[in-house]
Amino acid sequence: QDTFTLKLAETWGPNFPIFGDATKSMAQMAEKMSNGRLKIRIDSANKHKAPLGVFDMVKAGQYDMGHSASYYWKGKVPNTLFFTSMPFGMTALEQYAWFYYGDGMDLMQEVYEPHNMLSFPGGNTGNQMGGWFRKEIKSLDDLKGLKMRIPGFAGEVFAEVGVNPTNIAPGELYTALERNTIDALEWVGPALDLRLGFHQIADYYYTGWHEPATELQFLINKRVWERLPADLQEILRVAMRTAAYDMLIHSQHENAKAWANIKQDYPNVQIKNFPDDVFQAMYDANQKLLKEAAGNNEQAARIVKSLEDYQRDSRAYTRISDNAYLNTMAEIE
Amino acid sequence: MYWIIKLDKSLAWLSKLCGVIACLAMILMAVNVFYDVVARYVFNDVSIAMQEMEWHLYSVVFLLGIPYALRTDGHVRVDVFYTRWSNKTKAWVNILGSLIFVIPFAYLIGRYGYSFALDSYQMGEGSGDPGGLPHRWVIKAVIPLSAVFMATAGLNMVTYAIRVLAGEKEYVGEHSAGGLA
Amino acid sequence: MIGMIMFGVALIMLMFGFPVAFTFGGVALVFGIYAEGMDLFAFMPYRIMSVMQNTVLMAVPLFIFMGVVLQRTKLAEQLLTSMGRLFGGLPGGLAISTILVGALLAASTGVVGASVVAMGLISLPVMLAHKYDKRLATGTICASGTLGQIVPPSIILIILGDVLGLPVGDLFRAAVGPGVLLIGLYIVYILILTRLKPQTAPAMPKDDDSISRGKEIRDALLAIIPPLALIIVVLGSIFTGIATPTESSALGGIGAVVLALIYRQFSFKMVWDAAKDTVSVTAMVFAILIGATAFSMVFSYTGGDYLLEEWLLMLPGEQWGFIILAMLVILILGFFIDFVEISFIIVPILAPVAEALGINMLWFAILVAMNLQTSFLTPPFGFSLFYLKGVAPPNVRTIDIYKGIVPFILIQILVLALIVIFPEWFGMSSTY
Ligand code: NA
Ligand code: NA
Repeated sequence: QDTFTLKLAETWGPNFPIFGDATKSMAQMAEKMSNGRLKIRIDSANKHKAPLGVFDMVKAGQYDMGHSASYYWKGKVPNTLFFTSMPFGMTALEQYAWFYYGDGMDLMQEVYEPHNMLSFPGGNTGNQMGGWFRKEIKSLDDLKGLKMRIPGFAGEVFAEVGVNPTNIAPGELYTALERNTIDALEWVGPALDLRLGFHQIADYYYTGWHEPATELQFLINKRVWERLPADLQEILRVAMRTAAYDMLIHSQHENAKAWANIKQDYPNVQIKNFPDDVFQAMYDANQKLLKEAAGNNEQAARIVKSLEDYQRDSRAYTRISDNAYLNTMAEIE
Repeated sequence: MYWIIKLDKSLAWLSKLCGVIACLAMILMAVNVFYDVVARYVFNDVSIAMQEMEWHLYSVVFLLGIPYALRTDGHVRVDVFYTRWSNKTKAWVNILGSLIFVIPFAYLIGRYGYSFALDSYQMGEGSGDPGGLPHRWVIKAVIPLSAVFMATAGLNMVTYAIRVLAGEKEYVGEHSAGGLA
Repeated sequence: MIGMIMFGVALIMLMFGFPVAFTFGGVALVFGIYAEGMDLFAFMPYRIMSVMQNTVLMAVPLFIFMGVVLQRTKLAEQLLTSMGRLFGGLPGGLAISTILVGALLAASTGVVGASVVAMGLISLPVMLAHKYDKRLATGTICASGTLGQIVPPSIILIILGDVLGLPVGDLFRAAVGPGVLLIGLYIVYILILTRLKPQTAPAMPKDDDSISRGKEIRDALLAIIPPLALIIVVLGSIFTGIATPTESSALGGIGAVVLALIYRQFSFKMVWDAAKDTVSVTAMVFAILIGATAFSMVFSYTGGDYLLEEWLLMLPGEQWGFIILAMLVILILGFFIDFVEISFIIVPILAPVAEALGINMLWFAILVAMNLQTSFLTPPFGFSLFYLKGVAPPNVRTIDIYKGIVPFILIQILVLALIVIFPEWFGMSSTY
């Protein structure tokens, strides 16, 4: 029987925790389940040197697979934006339901199809934190003119309410925040933020709203996919789906651990919610930007409608189940 | 020989043109970064487009600077033996180096850089950040453009070496101190 | 194995004197096509694009521009000779001044190409004009230009923080002690050497024998102020957060032009000529980076990284044996491959072993950083050596630089050994 070796390029560096573990576990599962017929060789960013070139390299067939995040390709194919996580969007559980039981997967394939690729959910970070701020945000006015490193669509929402989104090279983020070149930044969540030491230089850690369920993605070149026999396709599909789910619980585990550490060693760090007027303004800005995005593109309009419809129904149930339970628990604890 | 001299001078002119563009980009970049710092600190105003323009200009500086420095002999050489060699030997080193290393290297970068930029053009790629610059293909196209000029500068090394072999020119010093010319 | 053979071939080819950048690129091309075919080079545009979008490297042309303007307007000369005069009849004053200026630059950037080239432009001509030994002059410049790696802010510490999962702030703080000690030992070395061989670094002659020492010092201090103010503006803009380290290099460049204006040295021709020099030297630095990226691409895609991995897993599993051998391996690899490759390929393999041995990872990271700093200076492939050669006058030979750097490498190894043996001197412990 034929064996297949697929080369996978990931956006992350070698040994990058959680994200990198997802690709490794996927590769291991695929190899074991196929009894060695399907091997996946992972090249990290240090090898291919093109963290944000994964889309192009898989498209051109220089790599068979990729592991990255769909919203990184927004500048190339605007509608890839919707498959990672949207501000004020669904939680991880709701979003997985949209992907696997709603229209999510079909819409995603439709967007990637013209680029000769298939895209699959590739692991979730869970709700990302809203970022590190050196000053407390008490009202909308405090956001006006605030210099913040916040990329992508969330940056556009922030810009609408008066924030100055600022580009800072990742290597200079720490120094820039420490010395007030910027006032705030967002990264991921406790487990990954802890490594960069932001808790040592900023006191206010805001809760998230902009990426409630950041989903990574596996990319596969379509010709490569079609060359695989049906059983290996299924093995790969199952390995990717399992690795994705595993990354979500892995994130929960690591974040909880890291947060316990921060709480103990850095009592200066305070968790804050943005005030209501700030949330309201950002929500309105988000709606406005989504309308704009949907307004001039038929496909975008369909995706946005699917996301909104699904979220409405799914959220109604979340409210009377998990949400109600957590509220009850909060009262008696 | 006449047409070799003519060719040599035309190729040199191309590299010089690269140098002029790179110099302009260099000055604009310094002003651009300075402006961004002042705008952020004094006027509390940040423009992502201006921030992206910084690395666009910086890329032009080194990508077009490389062919220019080939012409001015600004690229560093290990001179353990090179300085002691005759003009003739140096000419042969430069001819072979150019034909085996520079021109094929430039060819590959140009060939793959072309599809790299073309793909970006076909997708209409722009910045993914709020307020960023559109038309990413323009800056990506500088990669194959630089490769074309690298190849012509490589060819220029050959024509110059032929003039040296003919005894009409010679290598002055082993290089002009980092092209400080 | 192809990767290893390629190193040897590159080494031989370099000796022919064809430009270093294209020798790297060309050798990589021949081996790459032989082993993997042409299509391997489809990765090159991505790698070049990564360099283009690495805005931290923008400091390279900007600092070079500052250096060139300071040199062309003679302000650099004024700074160094005045500083040298402060040392009165003491030989080696210029070298010590160079180390101090290098330390200041190191505190404002972590990009070695930028500071080595800027230092080369600023102080090499001055030292040579004052009859300094070529080896001492070039060694001092390479060593003090490379300080940027260990003195925070530093790129290597940020990369190591990422690879090892350590907070950047902790690393920056831990690196201050070793950095200061290194600067101190460089100066001590100059003092000892000039005591033994005064002719290698002659003392600055007095301008005028009749003036008093007091007046001499006063004049020197006055002359130092403007260029020093510029460096302090650059540093200050970082410390106060007005600019990022990269942006501060632009403030330095524009500031140098303003200084020229004040000293009536300004002309559009001067700026244009400075831009021309800058483009040429920048191109030299980046051509090496691009040639080297092609080289490391072929090395790793032909399995060189897997081979290294295999070798490293054979290191001993006992604390001192492990540390000493790990340091030796990094030092030796540093002769051949650049620090980013080492940080990303070698360090992740060593880290779990170190962790399992109960080694303090912060200490381990500082050791690696010190060691990687040395890799910039070790012949034949130390990038600092090429960078300096690229801006040195023709009569400074590659071999002079190779010889000049040896004592400084020994000092670095000494400091490395001190951190290994006495971690508590630097506020660290070797284990948890
Ligand atoms: Na994030
Ligand atoms: Na530094």
